[in-house]
This record gives sequence, structure tokens and C-alpha cells, in this order.
Amino acid sequence: MPLLEAQNLTKYFGGLAAVNRVDLAVEEGEIVGLIGPNGAGKTTCFNLLSGFLPPTVGTINFHGQPLTGLKPHHIVARGLVRTFQHTTLFQDMTVLQNVLMGLHLHSQRGLGQVLCSRRSFPQHEIDRCYEVLAFTGLVELADQLAKSLPHGHQRTLGIAMALAVRPQLLMLDEPVTGMNLDESLRVMQLVQTIRDRGTTIVLVEHNMKAVMGTCERVIVLNFGQKLAEGTPAEVSSNPDVIAAYLGTGVTHA
Amino acid sequence: MKSKIRTVAMLAVVLLALILLTAVGGNYYAHLLALVFTNVILATSLRLSLMCGQLNIGHSAFMSVGAYTSALLAKNLGVPFELALLSGAALAMIVGVAMGYPSLRLRGVYFAMVTVAFVEAIRLIVQIWVSLTRGMSGLSGIPKPSLLGMVLVTKTDQCYLALGLMVVTLLILYKLEYSRLGLIWKSIGMADNLALSLGVNVAAYKLLAFALGCFFAGVAGAFYAHFVRFLFPPTFDFLMATNILVYNYVGGRGHFWGPIVGAAFLSWLPEIFRGSEATRQYETIFFSITMLLTILFLPGGLITLPGKLTGLCWRRAEGGSSPSSTAVLPGQRVAMHGNPDG
Repeated sequence: MPLLEAQNLTKYFGGLAAVNRVDLAVEEGEIVGLIGPNGAGKTTCFNLLSGFLPPTVGTINFHGQPLTGLKPHHIVARGLVRTFQHTTLFQDMTVLQNVLMGLHLHSQRGLGQVLCSRRSFPQHEIDRCYEVLAFTGLVELADQLAKSLPHGHQRTLGIAMALAVRPQLLMLDEPVTGMNLDESLRVMQLVQTIRDRGTTIVLVEHNMKAVMGTCERVIVLNFGQKLAEGTPAEVSSNPDVIAAYLGTGVTHA
Repeated sequence: MKSKIRTVAMLAVVLLALILLTAVGGNYYAHLLALVFTNVILATSLRLSLMCGQLNIGHSAFMSVGAYTSALLAKNLGVPFELALLSGAALAMIVGVAMGYPSLRLRGVYFAMVTVAFVEAIRLIVQIWVSLTRGMSGLSGIPKPSLLGMVLVTKTDQCYLALGLMVVTLLILYKLEYSRLGLIWKSIGMADNLALSLGVNVAAYKLLAFALGCFFAGVAGAFYAHFVRFLFPPTFDFLMATNILVYNYVGGRGHFWGPIVGAAFLSWLPEIFRGSEATRQYETIFFSITMLLTILFLPGGLITLPGKLTGLCWRRAEGGSSPSSTAVLPGQRVAMHGNPDG
């Protein structure tokens, strides 16, 4: 049974089908890439899977249980966590506090406990944050404000926050956009290490080099529909995919 | 650790000064201080919603609920003050949940507009329900506050009570702000979708912040009712609600101490103009000018003033061109924005 399975996934914005009858399945332990030209429906797909948008038609199953109709925070609680395309952090918080936010689901302190305890945060939560920060290489920056970090570190922090939630499936929306080669290599390596530790990964990315080097399977979307699916090598030699990226004129000429 | 000791020492000094002022100041100061303390409770309780990014211009509605509930319970049923105050606060919270639940999903200006409707709705209900609240004739004969059966007769004693209520409220709200809950509330104010993606039930936490804010507004209202001993519907109007908001903005929204400074400053200084009828008309002008000046020159609020002044002194002392001054300035900037609040 696949970890995540979407069938007939469709989203209409007015008369426009942003995502149109897409079937996709993600097995446990995979790194799957979701690619396609601009406006192909990748981010909409992410929003549907993570519950930020309700699908017009279609079903989504995670661990064999339906996710359709659940609120985003319920879906996160089931183990499916997503990051955002644009650098989204709690800008005025420190790096440590940002990661603490990721621990939210694992902290069961209610109003009463908060008022009665002496410490603001229990030591084991702080320790756990430093673990995540060490893993992502941000530990020296723990006390810096998120907004003062360089772009590359900000994107990594976004991943660190998602990791603190301890997801089973991590969905990364363009994790290496705007990074230089060195930074993007490092992030892709991080992504692979995360997978090796047992987290399944789906990522949207425009940087073909990063996708082809990291993903084991690639799904290509175009105009909201699934165009192709297969290993990076298969997909990059698929004439439909080449046509979608370069235009049909080239293949027919 | 050292800065912690310094903060505690400073607070102790302020507290002692307030107690002394109440003791020796006579009725005038006792009355004024008690109202200042009430305003501090109101301003700080509004901060909970502001942290979540919810612009609430309707806080006086919940103060009104607390005031009338407590006053009527004590006056008509002879309920002791402590119980009446808690009931007033609890009802304010219940009304807050009932009104907040449907409206908290609105954002920005849309939520603000609904909160304006809160004020008008509550004011009209109080005004029209003459058989219970005496409407526009005003509710008088409210019993004085009492503690454990002892009636607090003098203004000075009542002022101590207000001080106590304020300190307890501030302790609770401080604890909340620097806990997991405070972090979550701020995160919602900064980026609610991101908070949602980390598993935060945004709607529930917004409602919790709003409900707690209403509870403490109810506490302030209940004390006010037994202190002033006369309630009149237009007291809790839109102007009062905006004043509570202005305390937060003038004092500084970004920091726990902001609304406290704002409320103390703005509810104290207009007293200068209260001397005679002739000068009284300038009170509103003064209020507006202060607000404009703060927004223009201190967008972070009065609370950032000391930081700004030290920044200026540093710059002057170091001179413009020496390399050490350029090394200091970025550090200054970090220190000034160093607090993690929204």
C-alpha cells in the first residue's frame, strides 16, 4: 500500500482546471520529484495534498486513511508536513524559537501547566531543537533573528522547522530556489540524509539538476494534468516532456 | 541572570513607589492611580488579541459586560465582591467566545469592523434593557468593593485592591506571553499559514487569546463598577475601545511592557488638563497629538525610546568616522530589535 495516494485529484478555480484528474502514489522511503513548467499546477497539488485547499473532486489517502476534508493542522498531526515556496519563517523570532514552533504538536502543555511551571519551555524540548539545528547545520545561529539570516540559511531553517514536527512524509516546495550551486548541493544532500533516516520526501523544484540528481522518481505535470512519470532518465528523454518544456515547434520541425 | 536581577529590582522599586504614592497621596492620587491600574489591565489584556494579529477595537464591550454583571450581582443579589468580580469576568469571557467564535476567522480590517459592532451591540443592549440596567438613567448604588467580608471604605484601600488586581493580571499575562502559548500567538500574528503548516490549530488559539483578553477586560470592568459606583452605558463606548488600542500603540505593540507604559502615560498626563473647564477641551487634542507624534517618530512605541536615546548617545560619543563606531552601530541595532516579539 502506498504511503500517499491521490486519485482523480481535480481543482477548479472558476472555469480553470488548475489540477485535472491527477493520480499519484508515493511509496514509503521514496524521494519523488514533482516538476513541470510554470503554472502546471504543482503548488496547487501541494496545497490540495496538505489540506490548504479543498479538492473539487478526488480522494487523497495517507496510510490508507482518507485525508479529504481534514483541516491542515489535522493532516500535519497524521505525519504529512509541507514547506512553502516563498521563504516563510517567523521573521521576528529567533532561529531557536522558529524550531520550537515546529515542536508544537509534541508539546502537550496546556493552559494550566503553562501557568504552573517555572520554565518557559521544558529542557527536553530545547534539547530536541538543538538536535534538529545540529542536524541541519544551523546550531551556531540559534539565537539570531530569522530575518537576519542569509537566504540559504532561511530556506534550510524552513526545512528544520518541518523536521521538528517529525513528519513521515515531508513535502518541500522549491527548497533550493534562489540558491547558488554550493548551497543547493548542500540542501539536496540534507534532503537525502532526511530520507535515509526514514522520512519519505516529495519535492517540487525548478532546478533540474537538483531534481535529476536526487529524485528516484519524477512526476511531470503540464496544464494541470499528469504528462509523464518515471525515473529521471526516462522522463528527461520523454518527447512529451521535452515538448512541454521547449515547445512543440522543436519536435515537429 | 544579572539583567534578570536588575529587572526584578527595578520592578520592586516601581511597586514600592506606587504603594507609597497611594499611601501619602490622598484621595486624589488614590482615585487617579486606581483608574490608571484599571487601564493597564485593559491595555495588557487587549495585547493578547494584538499578538495574534487581530485588530480589536471592541474591548470596551467586554469591560462593560464585566462591569454590569458584577454590579448587578452585588447590588441586587448581595453577592460578595470577589465572587461578583469573577462572575463578571467569566461572563465577559463567555460573551467574548460567543462573539469571537464566528468572527475570528475574519482578518485585518474586516475583523476590526466586526469588533466595532461588538461595542455598539453591547452598549445598545445595556441601554435598552432598562428594567435590569436602568438604561440611560445610569446604574447607581453599587456596593463598594470588599475583601473577605471587609468593605474597603477609603479610596486608598480600593487603590491597593486595584494594584493587587493589576499585579496578579500582569503576572499571569507575563507568564503566558513567555510560554509556549505566547510563542504560538505571536507566530499566528507573524505568519498564520506557516503556523497552520506546523500543526497549530490557529482558530482555537486565536479564540483562546481572545477569550482570555475578554476575561481580564471583565476583571477591569468589575473593579471599575465597584470603584466608581455609577455605570452609564455611553461610558463603554467606541472612544474608550480606541483608547485601549491607542495605549498599546503609543506604548509599543512589540513588547509586553508596551501597553503598560502606554496606559500609564496616557491615562496620567491628561490630568494636567483637567484643572478647569477651560483647559479640559484640550485633552482630546493632546491625546491625538501624542498618538501622531509616537506613530511618526517612535513607530515601536514609547518603550523603544530609551533604546533610541542610548543609540543616539553612542553615536555622538563615538563620533561619526572612527571604525569602532561602525562596529558598535550594528550591535546597537541588534540589541534594539533583539526582543523576539511581534
